[in-house]
Amino acid sequence: MGFVAMSKSRTCMKHLCTWVVNPLYFRPDSPPHNITNAVRLIINPHTRYYTTKRDKQAQSPNEKGFTPRTRPAFPHSVFSAGAARKRAEFLKHKSGLDTENDDTPVRVRDSPNMVLPDRPLTPSEWTNLKKDFSRPELFEKVMMENLVRANVDVNIAKSLLSYVVQDKGTLSYEILLRYLTICVRAGHHSEVFDAYDIMRSCFKSLDLGASALFIKGFSQTDRWKEAISMLQDMKKALLPSPRNYGDVIAGAVLHGDSETSWKLYDELLELGLVPGQDTWQCLFQSGITQRGHEDKLFDVLSYMRDNQIYPEKPLMETIKAWFESLPDQKWRGKFSSVTPSGDCRNCKALLESIQLTEVEYAQLKHNVMEKVIEGGDVFNKSNPEELKSFKSFVKQRPPFDIVIDGLNVAKMLPHAAQSETLLAVVSELEQQSLNILVLGRKHMLRHSRNWDRQNMSLIKQKAHCFFTEDISEDDPYLLYAALNSGVHCKFLSRDLMRDHKACLPDSATRCLFFKWQRGHQLVISHYTPGKRVRFERILSYDTIIQTNGSSWHIPYDQKAEDRASYEVPQKWLCLTRD
Amino acid sequence: MMFLRWCFPPVRRMCVCQQISVRSFSSSRTLLKDDPQHEEKLDLDIWKSVMRAQALPEDPPHLQDSTSAASVLEAHRELVETWHQAGKLVPKVITDQQLQELSILTTKSSKKKYLKFLAIKEAQKNNDKRKQEKKRAEREAGKLQNNNGEEEEEERAAGPENTFMLRLRNNSIESAHNWRTAQAMRFDQPLVFDMSYDQQMSRHELENTVSQLLESEGFNRRVQEPFHLHFCNLQPGGAYHRELLRRYGDETWRRLLITHTERSPLELFPHQDLVYLTADSRSVLRTFDHTKVYIVGAMVDRSIRVGASLAIAKRFRLATARLPLDEYLDWDCGAKNLTLDQMIRILTTVKQTGCWQKALEFVPKRKHKGFHQQSGDKRSQKKHRGGADRAPWWSQQKQHQQK
Repeated sequence: MGFVAMSKSRTCMKHLCTWVVNPLYFRPDSPPHNITNAVRLIINPHTRYYTTKRDKQAQSPNEKGFTPRTRPAFPHSVFSAGAARKRAEFLKHKSGLDTENDDTPVRVRDSPNMVLPDRPLTPSEWTNLKKDFSRPELFEKVMMENLVRANVDVNIAKSLLSYVVQDKGTLSYEILLRYLTICVRAGHHSEVFDAYDIMRSCFKSLDLGASALFIKGFSQTDRWKEAISMLQDMKKALLPSPRNYGDVIAGAVLHGDSETSWKLYDELLELGLVPGQDTWQCLFQSGITQRGHEDKLFDVLSYMRDNQIYPEKPLMETIKAWFESLPDQKWRGKFSSVTPSGDCRNCKALLESIQLTEVEYAQLKHNVMEKVIEGGDVFNKSNPEELKSFKSFVKQRPPFDIVIDGLNVAKMLPHAAQSETLLAVVSELEQQSLNILVLGRKHMLRHSRNWDRQNMSLIKQKAHCFFTEDISEDDPYLLYAALNSGVHCKFLSRDLMRDHKACLPDSATRCLFFKWQRGHQLVISHYTPGKRVRFERILSYDTIIQTNGSSWHIPYDQKAEDRASYEVPQKWLCLTRD
Repeated sequence: MMFLRWCFPPVRRMCVCQQISVRSFSSSRTLLKDDPQHEEKLDLDIWKSVMRAQALPEDPPHLQDSTSAASVLEAHRELVETWHQAGKLVPKVITDQQLQELSILTTKSSKKKYLKFLAIKEAQKNNDKRKQEKKRAEREAGKLQNNNGEEEEEERAAGPENTFMLRLRNNSIESAHNWRTAQAMRFDQPLVFDMSYDQQMSRHELENTVSQLLESEGFNRRVQEPFHLHFCNLQPGGAYHRELLRRYGDETWRRLLITHTERSPLELFPHQDLVYLTADSRSVLRTFDHTKVYIVGAMVDRSIRVGASLAIAKRFRLATARLPLDEYLDWDCGAKNLTLDQMIRILTTVKQTGCWQKALEFVPKRKHKGFHQQSGDKRSQKKHRGGADRAPWWSQQKQHQQK
């Protein structure tokens, strides 16, 4: 593993060296070329280009004056964890919807005349309750459902079962299923065993819900091996869920059978199911007490890396404990974060760059051209003549430094004149001597209140412009131009490109696209007419589980519900070795 | 309070005996604590012994000599039965064909969704059957009274019934409709249904499409000025053709007064006369042109397919147009795509009257909040011309744009 990691690091370094040779970023006064200085040179001008002017006073971060009025509303990147939720709350508060939400009455789901008992009742007491119910024929079913929902004591449910069996002479499968839910949730193992015997003998077969409940209940007891046979029976009809496998694996781990747990884990992966975080936590927990499966646990970390999965806080703490428990290696774990330049604040190690390798870049470019731009039918998004003219347009011009989604940028402010907004952004970028491409649609060329002819002429002078038909989509052209211009090219948009990412054929390419997007998408963080345009900072490092042999860096979710699928965590676990 | 718990082997005879002994044994014992609040004795585990007494006899393990396909079907049938007894929404009766379709689906949620659809359809069928039986019973009860009434009337009026009026029968009405449709096939304006979407629809959507086509054809036949309907791009033996034959029947399909062909509308009509109606177009159909051939895509998209019909129009460089929904209606919610029978009602009405207010009455009421507050056609026309001045990109040809 160390060798593989070192090889990956070498590839990244080579990629960075390739980037140094790029003449667009060459500076005559740069210090002698070695790796450390070259890396710093790459990153610092990178950041400087899009946040500040070139004069030295503005470059100094200490001298920046951030007054409260001009402080951006969203201080973090659009890709950081929790940004979407904060944005939604801010916009909701801004539009005044939160007041309306408080006025909305909470819908009462339960029937108001059903009173749940707080102790076991005798059959006569149950009979009295049933008389008061509006629909006596559904009393048993509804009452049992409410007992399940209220999570009451198991003895109350048993008294209801005793009443039903005296009243009707038998119990239906549904009621027993609800009772089983109560027993499994509360951990009454002997009751689960009795329910299993009864349901197996009284009914021909069990449904998947009951089987799942029995797997969960049996896995926590000495009869956990029977859960494995239940799992095999489940496969005849349907594929078991990752949760079913997780329960059985947890049972095997609880009873010290590591071989069985790892065999089931491999079986789960072979079926194409994604394990849950609880399953991984069980496996790492067993790794602390039982040796011999270190390679498999490292494979789990590789799986998380390949599938871009971030551990949550409990799993992360178990991973930390497992690393620190490894004998004769002396790993030490600390919670850390990363500086904008890509260094770990704890151990000062440099994280992987977010730039793609040449092979990855070519693969991504080919897939985006094939699946996103043309797709199954080129007429769905554009037409062949337009595509051909755009390709020749791009070929005739030098590679662009930035590609602007014209309509997306222009409609950033709801009430302002849109051409003025677009002109301000283009002017700001033009002052940095960038080669700009503005993509728009043809209705932007017709003079109107929103699209002033003079502003559009100025934009054409400052930047290359291409306007698609009004009924064509311009996002595929933006992706084409940005990918075709090389690794240095950025694109400016607020669109997160999720529908285009979904068009890509497989998960690996989608991960590549997301990585490229996070490293190349500019988002305007704040703009007021008449003032300077501010951009969000682009991360220079990749947020993924990584190692360089002597240290591991694992990003984790501080709060799982905060992060949307297109966001990445900001917290890291730093593991170093003496 | 003591709770009696006993384990019994699952044999009926022994269980019954031990039950008796347990009861006699417990009645002889004295309780450690006498609680006056509980008049009845509470036995929380009595249901276990009762259920164990009802154990099913064990089935002999049947040999697995059947083929794998049959065992897969059997496994799915068992799955449906177990879900039924668990209270899930599954049909009570399921055919082998439906089981086969169920086994093709891979995920659990898709299986559940399909079974829920079958269950809802089964419940609707049962409700319809119950209503029909109820209606038949009422009709028979009414028939008895009518018979009594008719006997009295026959006794009163002994003379024969004579009239100079010709009796109007259903055959006469159908002949009139067919005659008008035949006239339309020779002299009237064509309307094309484009049948090139079979690759983009599921089977369910295709069945819905054919149902709407049947309704559209029926409505067209009964109006005062019918269109000459064309089913273009209809591949013989294709999905559309098979479903149309299944729904119409061979005899009716052969005698149907429409033109169905596998050729494209571009081969049948001049290119400049064709106008493709699609909601994604930017041109508004402000005036119905009787010299144009309008094309409607024969597609039902339950999940909206963005730009599917516009893509076909772009490929063949056809003019496109959309109905003036925003110009006349306060659109509330819902997409702008309409069903095929709604389309033909709108088009036949606007063809006959030239009035969009009358035509757009057929747009579903749930989608809009009524017509714009205007008093007459002249003002609406004037206002829309003013709107065109505000939006210069609408200054292109008013009816359609041609590429």
